[in-house]
Amino acid sequence: MGVFGTKCIGRDACGACSVNCPINDCLKFHVDKRLAGIDREKCISCGRCAAACPSEAIKPWGWKVTEEELVQVILKDRAFYEKSGGGVTLSGGEPLLQANFIAGLLRKMRDEKIDSCVESTFSVKWEEAEKILPHTDRFISDIKAMDDKVHRKYTGASNALILENLKRLSGCDVPLTLRIPLIPGVNDGRENIEKTAEFILRDMGGKIEKFQILEFMHLGREKCQSLEREYPMEGLKANREKIHKRAEEIREYFEDKGIHCVLGNA
Amino acid sequence: MKAIGVEPYDKNYGLGYESGHKEYSPYPRVNRLRERFLKREFNIDIERARLVTESYRANEDAPVKLKCARALANVLDNVELHIYDDELIIGDIAAPAKAAPVYPEFSASWIEDELLNHPFDKREHDRFYITDKDREELLQILKYWRGKTVSDMAEEAMSDEEKAGNELGKKVYMTSLYHYGGIGHFVMDYALLMKEGFGGLLKKAKEAYAEKKAGTEDFYEAVITEIEAAERYIKRYAALAREKAGECSDGKRREELLAIGDNCEHISEQGAENFWQALQLWHFATTIVQIESNGHSVSYGRMDQWLYPFYEKDIREGKITKEFAEELLECAYVRMGNPSKLKDRVTTSVRNGRGWGGESLTIGGVGRDGHDATNDLTFMMLEASVHTRMMNPWVCLRVHEDTPEELMIKAAECIRAGYGHPKLYNDHTAIKVMMKKGVSLEDARDYAVVGCVEPDMCGMEFGLHDAAYINLVKVMDLALNNGRCTDCSSSCPRYKGCAGQGKRLGTDAGSILDHRDIEDSLSAFKKELKYWLSLTKKSLDAIEKAHRTLKPTPFASAFFADCLEKGRDLTEGGARYNYTGPQGCGIATCADSLSAINQLVFEEKSFSAEDILNALKSNYEDNPYLYALVNSTKVHHFGNDDDLADRFYTEVFNIYCDAVEELENPRGGKFTPGVYSVNANVGMGMNTPASADGRKSGEPISDNMGPVHTAVSSHDVNGPTAISNSVNKADHSRATNGTLLNWKFTPDCVAGDRGRDNLVSFITTYFKGSATHCQFNIMSSEMMRAAMKDPDSYRDMLVRVAGYSAYFVELGEPLQMDLINRTELKF
Repeated sequence: MGVFGTKCIGRDACGACSVNCPINDCLKFHVDKRLAGIDREKCISCGRCAAACPSEAIKPWGWKVTEEELVQVILKDRAFYEKSGGGVTLSGGEPLLQANFIAGLLRKMRDEKIDSCVESTFSVKWEEAEKILPHTDRFISDIKAMDDKVHRKYTGASNALILENLKRLSGCDVPLTLRIPLIPGVNDGRENIEKTAEFILRDMGGKIEKFQILEFMHLGREKCQSLEREYPMEGLKANREKIHKRAEEIREYFEDKGIHCVLGNA
Repeated sequence: MKAIGVEPYDKNYGLGYESGHKEYSPYPRVNRLRERFLKREFNIDIERARLVTESYRANEDAPVKLKCARALANVLDNVELHIYDDELIIGDIAAPAKAAPVYPEFSASWIEDELLNHPFDKREHDRFYITDKDREELLQILKYWRGKTVSDMAEEAMSDEEKAGNELGKKVYMTSLYHYGGIGHFVMDYALLMKEGFGGLLKKAKEAYAEKKAGTEDFYEAVITEIEAAERYIKRYAALAREKAGECSDGKRREELLAIGDNCEHISEQGAENFWQALQLWHFATTIVQIESNGHSVSYGRMDQWLYPFYEKDIREGKITKEFAEELLECAYVRMGNPSKLKDRVTTSVRNGRGWGGESLTIGGVGRDGHDATNDLTFMMLEASVHTRMMNPWVCLRVHEDTPEELMIKAAECIRAGYGHPKLYNDHTAIKVMMKKGVSLEDARDYAVVGCVEPDMCGMEFGLHDAAYINLVKVMDLALNNGRCTDCSSSCPRYKGCAGQGKRLGTDAGSILDHRDIEDSLSAFKKELKYWLSLTKKSLDAIEKAHRTLKPTPFASAFFADCLEKGRDLTEGGARYNYTGPQGCGIATCADSLSAINQLVFEEKSFSAEDILNALKSNYEDNPYLYALVNSTKVHHFGNDDDLADRFYTEVFNIYCDAVEELENPRGGKFTPGVYSVNANVGMGMNTPASADGRKSGEPISDNMGPVHTAVSSHDVNGPTAISNSVNKADHSRATNGTLLNWKFTPDCVAGDRGRDNLVSFITTYFKGSATHCQFNIMSSEMMRAAMKDPDSYRDMLVRVAGYSAYFVELGEPLQMDLINRTELKF
């Protein structure tokens, strides 16, 4: 459940969340009666508060949906895909955590002749990726950091499995866009960049469609806040010009190495 | 040979507005003209008023058409003429460049009132300057017009009911355009003029006069008087150009002035022989029409088509280079910015923005044979637009299935440069519309766009487009509350004559408390709407009669089939096709209101009708819960490709179209429904109590065909493809006076080749539906906010308001905020 306290109209005017919550004292309020947060230890994620909230001050991050429902939503925009050559991207969260589900969906997309793309960290067992491989037109993934310690520190997981999977993926003949979210002082140093390029060239045989540099922005802040977690990048000052300059240098470096590289969404 | 402009079709013109960028044109002359234009002040010029009044005084007993004709002749013969440095196309509207002339024949009391009580130079925006001496003289002139104007006569004929509901009262509907100003909103037959010249038309008029039918003498005499005056007027310009050439020490400029003089001499009587003359003739004919009447949206028709023979011939014979042709076009474009209209403070408070208004220039589309008609000029007219980046002309690109990809890319490059032009129009729907209006298929393919979005038959139609604005949200307010305003209180200035005596503003068709289901609410809305449309029609009849009686326009009439043949003025139904086009405003606000009521009251039954009514009456003060809910995604909203809400959009759209189509005008024509508000949604919102969609009292109603955005939320949350699908659920070809949709994209999302191509694909797919029109703002809200803080640095920043672009910093704050609050879309 995400909490967006500024949207709350106050317990006195409304109170729908606490009336509908089955747990005692799960919802916390400020002195001014506006929603302060959810006691995450007590919360059972039943979603009743979110369903009752009129102002969407509590909103679930994610919801249950059937394949049929999703297909319906996607097909509504079919005319736009036909003209633009665009299609559907399944991203996350981590779509490969629901590989069986998305495999079905991807098969449907292929039947409907709609181009599909899966964006995944590939921090999953290769068997999961294999389930969708035959049905997917293209992939997007990241190499966030080559140093496993750094990777663990900032993502909470090792990069070993990811790199292993990317290596395998490069042998599968499905177009792949690799990206790096460029974070100053974390992964924009010379060593990491060189190692990344080396990995692509040596371990993946250079077989990627393009390498994309995403310049750091504080887009994660709102989501963290809504989940009442500490936003770990708060201290990081994002000087957009500086980041952009560094991104440009890195792009040149990759291009020199023979890896097609672009900034942002170009 | 493939059509192409001066530059490569995919030349990039930048992304979004650039502050401080001045030299867009490759032609230094054009940049100088543009800069001078921007720096010039908006003044009030009284010479036209003086000359017109002088003539009226001398012709008090003359028949009305002759009175009008002699007044125009007096202006054309005596007004001071100017030719400015660097100009290649000359001619003003009986006032120095950019100054606003005064048209007391149409309405005068507000000018008197503002001169005395609300000085034009003290306005918040849309300021005008006048010298003390002129002010005194103008006040004297205006005294003559008391009780004699078109608006005085129209008002006298209006009933109390009409006055309670129109611009003089609660503004349920507004007929202000022709109530206070002259007629316009048409396209003269420029192709014919180019061929025949004024001399040819004069001959035709004289021949018809010789065989005149009884009762048509005045008309022909007036036309003849006016065309002869036009010829003399243009000859005066020829003489002035030559005189200036004689004084000019710069050899190159002297040659130009001599050429201008020769052009004027030639076209004063004959048709155009070359491209330059054609542009000069077009400009004189258009501006003289604007001197005759201050009606706006005097549009240019399919200019790339009727100009092409002259261009083609000049190029073939080596008389002109493509570059010079484009430079001429750009000089003409900058010129088009000059006519300024003095608008009253009430109008400017709700519909602000400078200039004259409505000069649409249509390009592209199919030819009479149904094949693509793109030519070099189609590209060059887009290039001239992006090189000048001014309010005018309102370039409109007709798009069809076989529009060349190169042209779409050129258009996309202009659009993403972020200055608001061109607007795009869907041939498929427009041709259907024209055929509904009784035009043959070949003629229908020759349609052009007038003003904002009105499809029009050039040189044949007097469509009285933009005749009225109907506030559908206010109509719904009355329909839900037994004909009473939900915000009725003794503080209303009309209270004493209305509710204070137990009366109501609208009909007594019951209230939402009596409705069993949403169908009842829809029926009540339909009934209420019919009542207000019948009053609108009555007011328009009164207004049309006043124009017909006091201010016919024989000069303009001469350019329309079949006025000369019939000997009848445009105002008398002389044109071959006669229509009246009022606009429905706030359709999405109505749709979301009905959707909320349907869902919460009739389906889920979580609220009673009384809850809704009380919330509206209290401006949601007594029900913050409902306010939050109706503004959340938990209620079905239009613009999300959600049938449960979109159905109401289509229903309101159809109810409105059905009701308008039933009406007939005094010229023997029918009413044509338009569904758009231009920017009137802001002003209308100010006068409209809270609505059930979650809009509080005073907030804008939804703009044009677009989704709702209230102070607390944008009701469209599924992106542009969903909006496109929702909007296309209505059959736009029913709105025979046009529809309008604004898109606002962030610059980022149309960046790069991919962004540009996505934009083209998006437009193409959007137009596969029946949508008639769309236009774009490529601008971040962030930049608009910056411009509000530092207007000086953003002086020439254009934004697409509705059918037109306007200088953002010249707009009033409410409209600026409305633009900022529109959802910023991304692919």
